[in-house]
Amino acid sequence: MIDEETLAQMNGKYVCPPDAGPAWRAAMEAGIDMSLIEENLRRSPWERLLANESALKLIRELQKVKPA
Amino acid sequence: MENLTEILKRLHYAKVEFVLIGGLASRHYGVTLVTEDVDVCARFTPENLRRIEAALKDFHPQHRLTANKLPLELTDELCRSLKNIYLTTDLGILDCLSEVAGVGNFDEVLKKSELKNFPFGQCYVLGIGALIDAKKTVGRPHDLIAVSQLMAIKEKKEQQKELFD
Repeated sequence: MIDEETLAQMNGKYVCPPDAGPAWRAAMEAGIDMSLIEENLRRSPWERLLANESALKLIRELQKVKPA
Repeated sequence: MENLTEILKRLHYAKVEFVLIGGLASRHYGVTLVTEDVDVCARFTPENLRRIEAALKDFHPQHRLTANKLPLELTDELCRSLKNIYLTTDLGILDCLSEVAGVGNFDEVLKKSELKNFPFGQCYVLGIGALIDAKKTVGRPHDLIAVSQLMAIKEKKEQQKELFD
Protein backbone atom coordinates (compact mmCIF):
# COMPACT_ATOMS: atom_id res chain seq x y z
CA MET A 1 0.00 0.00 0.00
CA ILE A 2 1.50 3.32 -1.06
CA ASP A 3 1.01 6.14 1.42
CA GLU A 4 -0.45 9.46 0.35
CA GLU A 5 2.86 11.37 0.56
CA THR A 6 4.72 8.85 -1.63
CA LEU A 7 1.88 8.92 -4.14
CA ALA A 8 2.04 12.73 -4.19
CA GLN A 9 5.78 12.54 -4.88
CA MET A 10 5.20 9.98 -7.63
CA ASN A 11 2.78 12.49 -9.10
CA GLY A 12 5.40 15.21 -9.12
CA LYS A 13 5.38 16.80 -5.68
CA TYR A 14 8.84 18.22 -4.97
CA VAL A 15 10.04 17.79 -1.41
CA CYS A 16 12.23 20.70 -0.46
CA PRO A 17 15.29 19.52 1.50
CA PRO A 18 14.90 20.43 5.18
CA ASP A 19 18.27 22.22 5.15
CA ALA A 20 17.36 24.34 2.10
CA GLY A 21 18.27 27.97 2.59
CA PRO A 22 16.28 31.09 1.68
CA ALA A 23 17.70 31.37 -1.87
CA TRP A 24 16.80 27.76 -2.62
CA ARG A 25 13.29 28.29 -1.27
CA ALA A 26 12.92 31.57 -3.16
CA ALA A 27 13.88 29.89 -6.45
CA MET A 28 11.41 27.09 -5.72
CA GLU A 29 8.66 29.59 -4.96
CA ALA A 30 9.49 31.44 -8.19
CA GLY A 31 8.52 28.27 -10.04
CA ILE A 32 11.93 26.84 -10.86
CA ASP A 33 12.00 23.04 -10.94
CA MET A 34 14.57 22.49 -8.22
CA SER A 35 14.56 18.74 -8.80
CA LEU A 36 16.26 19.43 -12.16
CA ILE A 37 18.91 21.52 -10.45
CA GLU A 38 19.47 18.74 -7.92
CA GLU A 39 19.92 16.29 -10.82
CA ASN A 40 22.32 18.67 -12.52
CA LEU A 41 24.38 19.12 -9.35
CA ARG A 42 24.87 15.35 -9.15
CA ARG A 43 26.82 15.62 -12.41
CA SER A 44 30.39 16.87 -12.67
CA PRO A 45 30.80 20.38 -14.12
CA TRP A 46 32.08 18.84 -17.35
CA GLU A 47 29.07 16.51 -17.54
CA ARG A 48 26.85 19.58 -17.12
CA LEU A 49 28.44 21.13 -20.21
CA LEU A 50 28.05 17.91 -22.19
CA ALA A 51 24.40 17.71 -21.13
CA ASN A 52 23.96 21.19 -22.59
CA GLU A 53 25.35 19.94 -25.90
CA SER A 54 23.02 16.95 -25.89
CA ALA A 55 20.06 19.25 -25.25
CA LEU A 56 21.21 21.58 -28.00
CA LYS A 57 21.55 18.66 -30.40
CA LEU A 58 17.98 17.60 -29.61
CA ILE A 59 16.74 21.17 -30.17
CA ARG A 60 18.44 21.25 -33.58
CA GLU A 61 16.94 17.87 -34.52
CA LEU A 62 13.48 19.11 -33.56
CA GLN A 63 13.99 22.31 -35.52
CA LYS A 64 14.57 20.17 -38.63
CA VAL A 65 11.20 18.44 -38.26
CA LYS A 66 8.62 20.01 -40.55
CA PRO A 67 5.18 20.62 -39.07
CA ALA A 68 2.67 17.91 -40.03
CA MET B 1 26.09 20.80 -35.48
CA GLU B 2 27.46 22.84 -32.61
CA ASN B 3 30.29 21.59 -30.45
CA LEU B 4 30.66 24.29 -27.82
CA THR B 5 33.12 22.38 -25.67
CA GLU B 6 35.37 22.01 -28.72
CA ILE B 7 35.46 25.82 -29.00
CA LEU B 8 36.66 25.99 -25.40
CA LYS B 9 39.27 23.34 -26.09
CA ARG B 10 40.52 25.16 -29.19
CA LEU B 11 40.85 28.44 -27.29
CA HIS B 12 42.76 26.66 -24.55
CA TYR B 13 45.16 24.91 -26.94
CA ALA B 14 45.79 28.19 -28.76
CA LYS B 15 46.76 29.73 -25.40
CA VAL B 16 44.08 32.42 -25.64
CA GLU B 17 43.80 34.46 -22.46
CA PHE B 18 40.10 34.19 -21.67
CA VAL B 19 37.55 33.71 -18.92
CA LEU B 20 34.41 31.66 -19.52
CA ILE B 21 31.33 33.77 -18.74
CA GLY B 22 27.62 33.74 -19.65
CA GLY B 23 25.39 30.76 -20.15
CA LEU B 24 28.08 28.11 -20.38
CA ALA B 25 29.66 29.34 -17.14
CA SER B 26 26.18 29.17 -15.60
CA ARG B 27 25.82 25.60 -16.88
CA HIS B 28 29.19 24.78 -15.36
CA TYR B 29 27.80 25.75 -11.95
CA GLY B 30 24.60 23.74 -12.44
CA VAL B 31 22.05 26.07 -14.04
CA THR B 32 19.57 24.06 -16.12
CA LEU B 33 18.99 26.61 -18.91
CA VAL B 34 20.30 25.49 -22.30
CA THR B 35 22.74 27.88 -23.93
CA GLU B 36 23.45 28.10 -27.63
CA ASP B 37 26.77 29.92 -27.57
CA VAL B 38 30.10 30.32 -25.87
CA ASP B 39 30.69 33.68 -24.19
CA VAL B 40 34.15 34.61 -23.07
CA CYS B 41 35.83 37.72 -21.78
CA ALA B 42 39.23 37.96 -23.45
CA ARG B 43 42.22 40.24 -23.24
CA PHE B 44 41.94 42.48 -26.29
CA THR B 45 45.60 42.76 -27.19
CA PRO B 46 46.66 42.17 -30.80
CA GLU B 47 48.55 39.02 -29.72
CA ASN B 48 45.56 37.53 -27.97
CA LEU B 49 43.14 38.40 -30.76
CA ARG B 50 45.50 36.70 -33.21
CA ARG B 51 45.41 33.63 -30.98
CA ILE B 52 41.60 33.61 -31.18
CA GLU B 53 41.85 33.85 -34.95
CA ALA B 54 44.37 30.99 -35.05
CA ALA B 55 42.23 28.84 -32.75
CA LEU B 56 39.26 29.04 -35.10
CA LYS B 57 40.88 29.32 -38.51
CA ASP B 58 39.79 25.83 -39.60
CA PHE B 59 36.14 26.49 -38.70
CA HIS B 60 35.19 29.40 -40.98
CA PRO B 61 34.81 32.14 -38.36
CA GLN B 62 32.64 35.04 -39.52
CA HIS B 63 31.53 38.25 -37.86
CA ARG B 64 27.97 37.07 -37.28
CA LEU B 65 26.42 40.52 -36.84
CA THR B 66 27.78 41.98 -40.08
CA ALA B 67 25.35 42.11 -42.99
CA ASN B 68 27.52 39.97 -45.25
CA LYS B 69 28.92 37.73 -42.53
CA LEU B 70 32.44 39.01 -43.10
CA PRO B 71 35.16 36.47 -42.40
CA LEU B 72 37.39 36.96 -39.39
CA GLU B 73 40.51 38.41 -40.97
CA LEU B 74 42.30 40.52 -38.41
CA THR B 75 44.44 43.45 -39.39
CA ASP B 76 46.51 45.66 -37.11
CA GLU B 77 43.88 48.38 -37.45
CA LEU B 78 41.03 45.99 -36.57
CA CYS B 79 42.95 44.69 -33.59
CA ARG B 80 43.19 48.26 -32.29
CA SER B 81 39.52 49.06 -32.98
CA LEU B 82 37.59 46.00 -31.86
CA LYS B 83 35.96 46.01 -28.43
CA ASN B 84 34.05 42.78 -28.93
CA ILE B 85 34.04 39.98 -31.49
CA TYR B 86 30.78 38.19 -32.29
CA LEU B 87 31.51 35.10 -34.35
CA THR B 88 29.69 32.27 -35.97
CA THR B 89 31.85 29.22 -36.69
CA ASP B 90 31.36 25.63 -37.80
CA LEU B 91 31.59 24.70 -34.11
CA GLY B 92 28.95 27.20 -33.01
CA ILE B 93 28.71 30.78 -31.87
CA LEU B 94 31.51 32.42 -29.93
CA ASP B 95 31.18 35.90 -28.46
CA CYS B 96 34.39 37.47 -27.17
CA LEU B 97 33.98 40.53 -24.99
CA SER B 98 36.66 42.88 -23.73
CA GLU B 99 34.65 43.67 -20.59
CA VAL B 100 31.67 42.33 -18.68
CA ALA B 101 28.85 44.64 -17.60
CA GLY B 102 28.56 44.63 -13.82
CA VAL B 103 32.08 43.23 -13.37
CA GLY B 104 34.58 45.27 -15.39
CA ASN B 105 37.45 44.88 -17.84
CA PHE B 106 39.44 41.72 -18.46
CA ASP B 107 41.75 42.20 -15.47
CA GLU B 108 38.80 42.74 -13.14
CA VAL B 109 37.01 39.73 -14.61
CA LEU B 110 40.14 37.62 -14.19
CA LYS B 111 40.43 38.66 -10.53
CA LYS B 112 36.89 37.41 -9.94
CA SER B 113 37.46 34.12 -11.75
CA GLU B 114 38.49 30.67 -10.65
CA LEU B 115 40.77 28.22 -12.43
CA LYS B 116 38.70 25.10 -13.12
CA ASN B 117 39.63 21.65 -14.36
CA PHE B 118 38.41 20.47 -17.75
CA PRO B 119 39.35 17.19 -19.48
CA PHE B 120 41.72 19.11 -21.78
CA GLY B 121 43.31 21.33 -19.13
CA GLN B 122 42.53 24.25 -16.85
CA CYS B 123 40.49 27.31 -17.81
CA TYR B 124 39.28 30.34 -15.93
CA VAL B 125 35.56 30.52 -15.21
CA LEU B 126 33.94 33.66 -13.83
CA GLY B 127 33.19 33.13 -10.13
CA ILE B 128 29.58 32.45 -9.26
CA GLY B 129 29.16 35.72 -7.32
CA ALA B 130 30.47 37.82 -10.20
CA LEU B 131 28.37 35.82 -12.65
CA ILE B 132 25.29 36.70 -10.60
CA ASP B 133 26.32 40.39 -10.66
CA ALA B 134 26.82 40.27 -14.44
CA LYS B 135 23.49 38.59 -15.11
CA LYS B 136 21.66 40.98 -12.78
CA THR B 137 23.20 43.91 -14.66
CA VAL B 138 22.07 42.61 -18.05
CA GLY B 139 18.68 41.77 -16.58
CA ARG B 140 16.92 40.08 -19.49
CA PRO B 141 14.14 37.66 -18.44
CA HIS B 142 16.29 34.55 -18.97
CA ASP B 143 19.20 36.20 -17.12
CA LEU B 144 16.94 36.72 -14.11
CA ILE B 145 15.88 33.07 -14.17
CA ALA B 146 19.59 32.18 -14.24
CA VAL B 147 20.21 34.58 -11.32
CA SER B 148 17.54 32.86 -9.28
CA GLN B 149 19.11 29.45 -9.99
CA LEU B 150 22.67 30.70 -9.43
CA MET B 151 21.76 32.20 -6.06
CA ALA B 152 20.23 28.89 -4.95
CA ILE B 153 23.29 26.98 -6.23
CA LYS B 154 25.68 29.44 -4.56
CA GLU B 155 23.89 28.91 -1.28
CA LYS B 156 24.16 25.14 -1.69
CA LYS B 157 27.81 25.50 -2.72
CA GLU B 158 28.49 27.19 0.58
CA GLN B 159 26.80 24.26 2.38
CA GLN B 160 28.34 21.45 0.26
CA LYS B 161 31.63 22.54 -1.24
CA GLU B 162 32.40 19.13 -2.80
CA LEU B 163 29.62 19.62 -5.37
CA PHE B 164 31.61 22.34 -7.09
CA ASP B 165 35.26 21.33 -7.06
